Amino acid sequence: MDTNTSFLLDEQRFRSLFDNNPDLVLFQNNAGTILDANRAFFAHIDKPKGHVLNRPLSDFLPPNKRALFQQKLAEAFQGQTVRFDTDVQFDSLPPRQFDITQVPLMTDGEVTGIHVVFRDITDVTVAQLLIQQQAQKLNTVFEAITDAFFLVDHSWRFTYLNSETERVLNVQRAAVMGQSLWDVFPEESNGVFYQHYVQALHTQQAVHFEGFFERLQMWFDVKAFPSEEGLSVYFADITDRVKAHEELYRQNNDLQQFTYIVSHNLRAPLANIMGLVDLLASLEPNSTDFQQTRQHLQLNAHQLDTVLQDMNTILTIRDNHNVVAPEQVPLLDVIEQACRTLDAPLKQCRGTLQIAVPDTLRVHGNRAYLHSIFFNLLSNSIKYRADSRSLQVQIEAVSSSEQNIVVTFADNGSGFDLQKAGADVFKLYKRFHSQHVGRGMGLYLVKTHVEAMGGHISVSSHEGVGTRFTIHLR
Amino acid sequence: MDILLIDDNSTSVFLTEMLLKREGVSSNIHSFFTAKEALRYIQQSLPDRVPAIVFLDLNMPVMDGWEFLEALKPYEQQLAHRCHIYVLTSSLATADATKTKDYSLVSGLIHKPMDSQMLRVIWAEVAEQTS
Repeated sequence: MDTNTSFLLDEQRFRSLFDNNPDLVLFQNNAGTILDANRAFFAHIDKPKGHVLNRPLSDFLPPNKRALFQQKLAEAFQGQTVRFDTDVQFDSLPPRQFDITQVPLMTDGEVTGIHVVFRDITDVTVAQLLIQQQAQKLNTVFEAITDAFFLVDHSWRFTYLNSETERVLNVQRAAVMGQSLWDVFPEESNGVFYQHYVQALHTQQAVHFEGFFERLQMWFDVKAFPSEEGLSVYFADITDRVKAHEELYRQNNDLQQFTYIVSHNLRAPLANIMGLVDLLASLEPNSTDFQQTRQHLQLNAHQLDTVLQDMNTILTIRDNHNVVAPEQVPLLDVIEQACRTLDAPLKQCRGTLQIAVPDTLRVHGNRAYLHSIFFNLLSNSIKYRADSRSLQVQIEAVSSSEQNIVVTFADNGSGFDLQKAGADVFKLYKRFHSQHVGRGMGLYLVKTHVEAMGGHISVSSHEGVGTRFTIHLR
Repeated sequence: MDILLIDDNSTSVFLTEMLLKREGVSSNIHSFFTAKEALRYIQQSLPDRVPAIVFLDLNMPVMDGWEFLEALKPYEQQLAHRCHIYVLTSSLATADATKTKDYSLVSGLIHKPMDSQMLRVIWAEVAEQTS
């Protein structure tokens, strides 16, 4: 085979490669004239060879693309391969997206022409665009739903979270993406959320539950769906709902208690009165029995009235709960005033009272309620003092923060068995001492008053040692 | 025959005492204002001098009627058929009547005030069960 033959074969091979290339290929000179083009190109622009060759490419380009192609051609004539993406609408054909490569043909160190390859990437571009749009749409949906939403992979790493999740959990997307859920919230790594998620992944079944999120002291309603990628979790803050439910439950419970107690305590003196009246009929008007019966009758009629008055007091506090405007009450002042009222009985039993309350301390509440609280506590201390030692009462108050004032009221009285009394200590008409007269109203009032001012009260007591009340006020 | 009254309400005790007196009950009547004292009395009365009838109030401080009944459980065998407990309460709660069924020593629940008719019924019941 001589050189010519081999050269001819090479030429044929390249010709075939050129002509049969599925991409549009053409060859331009530095004027932009098309010197050669392949079948794909003729087919694409739907023109015979004769109408294309020796005409400038710009004849076939839409006017708005001519400058671009001219510039790119000039760049290629500098001797470098140029590559760019653009959409081109040849004549009246639908526009297509092309990935265009311009390769300079070097002859003796000079650029003698440019091979231009148009690769049609319309379909790929459309597909990419579609994916992008879908992702955008999905993102918009995730952002638009009011639920917080996040995704984790099988290694618990965050792969997505919406802005509601950022807001509710108080985290930054950038800081937690790719991090394990349990590294971000290590305190939950064996908690209620973890257990439900594991169950969902294990059973491949969606889970729906309510859980308490310790870190933020919030209740969440959570739905978690297992998928191939891991777990999708939707959750909403239901703290208000749970709290409202608890409050409703508590109030309902209180109301039941109240009804039971009141009916019982109304009926006790009433039943006595009924019995006494019946008895009276069979007694001699001047007998001792008659006199005694009459006295009991009087006593029980008064008791009946007292119960009704107590009810009135309690209902008034409840009604005023949202009506009486709270004020800034100087605490020391009101304590001293309440204690002065009990000066005589305190002196009588040789009791001593120590008050350590800063005179600048003011509490957010109601003066009458505060008066009632300290009056009732002190009168209980006097009533239930220990016989073996003289009574000592200490009242202290500290302001631990602007919103939290802690008052402790401690005595060295007879105390009571807290284990036994337990939850009943503050209940209406519950009594813990049989040797003293009391109707079980004092501590109930104290608690009601404290709570009406948005505070809470707790108690610790030891029989024979004393009792200590801790009151949190605002 | 001994009768025990356990009630922290003095009027209630007075009423029952007067009623027993009016009905001519000549038994020894012992009244206790606390369940603890009554419990001690019953423990000391074992085994021979147990009271035949106990009128028990429910709502009392320190030890209430239910706690008293619990405290008597260890002595149930010794007291059965000899000591008849009648719960005497001003409460109308039906739950109380149901709860008395848990205590075999309780023969009945009476809503205050007790009257002569009720007392005669109790008398007949006790006489029947004792004989």
